[in-house]
Amino acid sequence: MKYDVVVIGGGPAGLAAAIRASKNASVLLIEREARLGGILKQCIHDGFGVVRFGEKLSGPEYADRFIKELRDTNVTVSLFSFVTNIVKNDCYKLTYVCADGVKTVECDKIILSTGCRERTRNGIFIQGDRCAGIYTAGAAQNLVNILGIMPGRKVVILGSGDIGLIMARRLTLEGATVEGVYEAKSTPSGLTRNIHQCLHDFNIPLHLSTTVTRVIGKNRLEQVEVSQVDEKMRPISGTERIVDCDTLVLAVGLIPENELAKDLSVKIDPKTKGAIVDQNCQTLTDNVYACGNALHVNDLVDYVSESGETAGEDASKPCGKRKLVPVKVKGKFLYMVPQMLDVNADVSKVITYFRASEELSKQKLTVTVGGKEIFSKRFAKLLPPEMERVVIDYSAADLASEQILIELKEG
Amino acid sequence: MNLAKIANGVYKKYGVKVQATQDERSIIVTGECDDWGKIVEIGKLFVDKKSGKYVVNDIRFTGGEDRPPLLPAVCDDKLEGTEWDVVIIGGGISGCSVARELCKYNLKVLVCEKHSDVAHGASGANDGMVHAGIDIKHKCKKLHYVTRGNAMYESVCRNLGVEFERAGQYVIFTSRLIKFLARTYLIRAKKHNIPDVEIIGKKEICAIEPTVKDFAVGALKIPSTGAVSPYKLTIAYAENAVQNGATISLDTAVLSLEHTDSQITGITTNRGKFTAKCVINCAGVFADKIAQMAGDRYYSIHPRKGVDLLLDPKSDGLPSNAISLSPTLKTLKEHKNTKGGGIIKTVDGNILLGPNAHETYLREDTSTASCDIDEVFNKQQRCCPSMKRAAIIAYFAGVRAPSYEEDFIIERSAKVRNLIHVAGIQSPGLTAAPAFSLDVAEMAKDMLQSLGVQITENPNFDPHRNAPIRCKSLSDEQRDELIKRNSDFGKMICRCEQISLGEIKQAINNPLKVATVDGVKRRVRAGMGRCQGGFCMPLVVKTIAEELGVDYCDVQKGDDGSYVAIGNIKEI
Repeated sequence: MKYDVVVIGGGPAGLAAAIRASKNASVLLIEREARLGGILKQCIHDGFGVVRFGEKLSGPEYADRFIKELRDTNVTVSLFSFVTNIVKNDCYKLTYVCADGVKTVECDKIILSTGCRERTRNGIFIQGDRCAGIYTAGAAQNLVNILGIMPGRKVVILGSGDIGLIMARRLTLEGATVEGVYEAKSTPSGLTRNIHQCLHDFNIPLHLSTTVTRVIGKNRLEQVEVSQVDEKMRPISGTERIVDCDTLVLAVGLIPENELAKDLSVKIDPKTKGAIVDQNCQTLTDNVYACGNALHVNDLVDYVSESGETAGEDASKPCGKRKLVPVKVKGKFLYMVPQMLDVNADVSKVITYFRASEELSKQKLTVTVGGKEIFSKRFAKLLPPEMERVVIDYSAADLASEQILIELKEG
Repeated sequence: MNLAKIANGVYKKYGVKVQATQDERSIIVTGECDDWGKIVEIGKLFVDKKSGKYVVNDIRFTGGEDRPPLLPAVCDDKLEGTEWDVVIIGGGISGCSVARELCKYNLKVLVCEKHSDVAHGASGANDGMVHAGIDIKHKCKKLHYVTRGNAMYESVCRNLGVEFERAGQYVIFTSRLIKFLARTYLIRAKKHNIPDVEIIGKKEICAIEPTVKDFAVGALKIPSTGAVSPYKLTIAYAENAVQNGATISLDTAVLSLEHTDSQITGITTNRGKFTAKCVINCAGVFADKIAQMAGDRYYSIHPRKGVDLLLDPKSDGLPSNAISLSPTLKTLKEHKNTKGGGIIKTVDGNILLGPNAHETYLREDTSTASCDIDEVFNKQQRCCPSMKRAAIIAYFAGVRAPSYEEDFIIERSAKVRNLIHVAGIQSPGLTAAPAFSLDVAEMAKDMLQSLGVQITENPNFDPHRNAPIRCKSLSDEQRDELIKRNSDFGKMICRCEQISLGEIKQAINNPLKVATVDGVKRRVRAGMGRCQGGFCMPLVVKTIAEELGVDYCDVQKGDDGSYVAIGNIKEI
């Protein structure tokens, strides 16, 4: 069997990519789980789709809109299917396992929409006993929202990432006591709106510059030790405090899932931990695309869908030879996507996502090509948890100079 | 040995007053000290290998409070009034391998393990290296069993369906002097019958292991070193024992031993009181405590903790072989308690670093501290500078159970006629187990015969255990065929390690009936990958509950009390 495009991952990015690609191409969507929707299936809180639909939907509702739209396309969907191998000959040959057996399929283009995973207890080096009662926020969310069981009664949350904040509220609503949210950084990691709606509204304290330094418990968690940290995030000796709790929820960050990308030798950006892509979400490996949280961790699903559509649109069309020019950055950026510009392709609406590396006020973003400014935008305030999006038109620029610079400075 | 003179020396060096006495089997040291490290060092000073006596270190530790032993929550009469030919105390590699060997005879064998699964202690938390024995200097029980055990690994693992790889090991020399001195290893290897050991040059080692190219001048190549999963081998021994008629009673702690002067007459556990014609003490860090319960404490165990780190095999800059730096005079002084650890490639393809070694009075302290992580990583990074700290995906601690003599104690009790000690089994006890379990089984057989028990061979003994199905290692054709027979093998549950629903169900329905999240994890690796169970844990919980026909909330992570959830939502 051969398709023009195979989309791997049926979460919000993959759904959008498959729908868009199907307008011009034959598409197979491969999903690992029994149902489409990805992580949205367990995100039963609202706030999804504000940008895209102007409505506050729940995660399943947001996914459902795309799943319904998908039904009217010619996209073939393969559920409970897991890609085990990809080889490149004239085209790509994928092997995947599903409940029917081991299948192979050929395609010209691959879209990776594999989402992200959570950092774990080990990833942040929490020390102490090895008891039950320590969950990543996503796992805790699955227990509560999918299995319908309560992880514990008295909860400490480490990390102020959005899922941690959402879970603080969720567990409170289900009758647990959330003792507090502890964040090693001096500023919150989650969206400001979530700090207000999930913590302030429920009187849950947020302890900044404080982290969990030890977990204590025989079989089930009994206590955690929290300590204040210095500016380099090292625990300050003498500030230790013991907190009684039976559950520790970790919301300490997300990492794009790129195992298949690595197998395809796709170049990864150490800053985003996702692929390096051009404005059409095509990676440095020809005909392989990356989008959604596999590309970089987004804070709004609306932009996840958007990058999926960008990838799907481009993958569905025949492509000419690319000429890639690096987009250089200067200033306090955490990261910027895309990192490359294909100057042979359309450059008139380049959607650019970025995050500042620290809290900044009164900033000016300028784009210069060959030393000539072609775009600028002012930002009253930039926060690392809040991703920014700008659309840049390069069509009037002298791209032959191959000198593209995006700069962030006060002004 | 002049005990008073040593005691005097101890006072001068440590400022600790100790008294030492001796009887036929032991040198007993008493006193008081608030520094555990000193207590252990003092104990070692009284070691007298020539006399064949063991140190019993009774110096009272005043610098901290020992914790009571962890005990299972369950309390019932499951075993009350039962009668056994052999009762083995402890379900680690020693107890499980001995149980399996005893199944060759028509005997009623019981293994008591206080945790919810076998291999819960040091057998479950070590680096899995199958040692060649090159580090053991002198002839001793350890050397005898390690060299014999090492040679048995292919056949044992083939029979038990456990992966084993004999990929060899390289000890890297960083200076010409060390390379020159390493010739003593060749002499030792010859003397101890360690096969094919050789010294290789810079070019050769750098071709084999490019990560050492900046500092290696050569290496000692030890081809007989291998790797096995220590808990999988222990589980395999236990499962094969159960298949051949042995009983393994989990969550069963020996609380006391009823005994006369020369015989154990009853065993009291949290699951009832029963009798055994023969008792085998395989209690690891608690071996001296069990000996004491039998009125036969003639050695001491001093717990020694070690931490190992696991790295993501997909990260960059990792070595592809088991390597370690050759000790220098300086490092020998710093790390006299361990062979120094190393970088090991596990049978599952992970890179494992470790372990370090710290004396502790807490026998069950498997907690980790950031200083352990730093110590192990920084040390091993010297051997492979390209490794990155970010590659660490997991770490764990285990507690070794050495005696003061640092040798295995594998013998019939001189005092209690129905007791066998398998004690002091520290590294490389895993390597040695296949060999010493044969001898211990023979010892038990002789003992029972001398007690008048008629022993016949078990005609139904089957040494083979089928390896669990591992989809990832099948060819596409085999996998396809398997899925067509049972579609569960096509449903992926653990994405990091590629474990299917079928494999998870198979792990839940194991012969030992261990149906916990950790039990599944150790049997099929679900949750051992990059996400550490973040994605698959809820699915594993769901599958366990469904297979057992219980509520989700009844599922435990490991030991009784390690519940995953406290109840259903809306009911709290």
